[in-house]
Amino acid sequence: MEKITLAGTFETPSIVLDSSKGLLEFSGRSLPEDSSTFYKPILNWIDQYISQPTEKTEIAIKLEYFNTATSKVLLNMLTKFEKTSNVTVQWFHYEEDEDMLESGKEFEELVNLPFAYFRLD
Amino acid sequence: MASPKIQNLSIIFDLHKSMAENQVIVAYEGELNAKVTQSVLSLAESNLDQKNVATQAKRKAFNIALECLQNISNHGDRSEESPNCIFIIGQEGDEYFISSGNTIKRDKVEMLRHKLEQINNLDEVGLKQLHQQTIKESLNKKETNNAGLGLISIARKSNQKIGYQFVNVDSDNAFFTFQASFLNNPEPN
Repeated sequence: MEKITLAGTFETPSIVLDSSKGLLEFSGRSLPEDSSTFYKPILNWIDQYISQPTEKTEIAIKLEYFNTATSKVLLNMLTKFEKTSNVTVQWFHYEEDEDMLESGKEFEELVNLPFAYFRLD
Repeated sequence: MASPKIQNLSIIFDLHKSMAENQVIVAYEGELNAKVTQSVLSLAESNLDQKNVATQAKRKAFNIALECLQNISNHGDRSEESPNCIFIIGQEGDEYFISSGNTIKRDKVEMLRHKLEQINNLDEVGLKQLHQQTIKESLNKKETNNAGLGLISIARKSNQKIGYQFVNVDSDNAFFTFQASFLNNPEPN
């Protein structure tokens, strides 16, 4: 599968989708008003990936900001992995950003996947 | 030489004084779309940086501003007479205010008023439940009304009641004013 690498902008995240490593990483900020258009190719990649996943999959979310339009896409995206085995979500937050940590815990309540929490410096 | 359009130039000085006294961090009056939203947010971010606002307060202000601007950009209506909206981030001591005003169709007022009343009547736990329920429901719908989730998110970040007012402008349109505020480093209850 094709590896996808996107550089971040003021309102869109840096994204790495690497099927050979089983790694999906989102970092920076995700603020697009039209989140479904922006994430469409990402969700398409994921649909393809889960039909033939790598042994282990790590989804790393390292976002400093995301809008509510993105939170809906994130939920949709994470839900897609519920039937895939050996998937972990690595949720990163800045030390003093309790709201972002809380956000991670709320996604954990909504999807049937194991979450691990890490700090960003 | 043509005379200046603004006859009374002192209005600029007055506006400047008033904005400085009210500790305005960002003020914008004009049309709002995705592109302008981005510019206003970018300006808000650099002004918050310049004022050495604590990181957590800066994040809250940025998040609330973002949802507020995108709500207007996505759901606001533009009447021909008043296509513009207003958006202000201000500060008063430890308290930050994110205020906006925009035109909406009068037939949307009751729906929006109902949403805001519902949100203001909930405590922290209730808001979290509503958030979880609303985002879960969004999975099953193709086109969803983002305003609900955006307003809930604003209320949760601010941890204070949302202020709002509707003023009828003409037979079709109303002007919707909105204000969310939060305290930097609030004392635990």
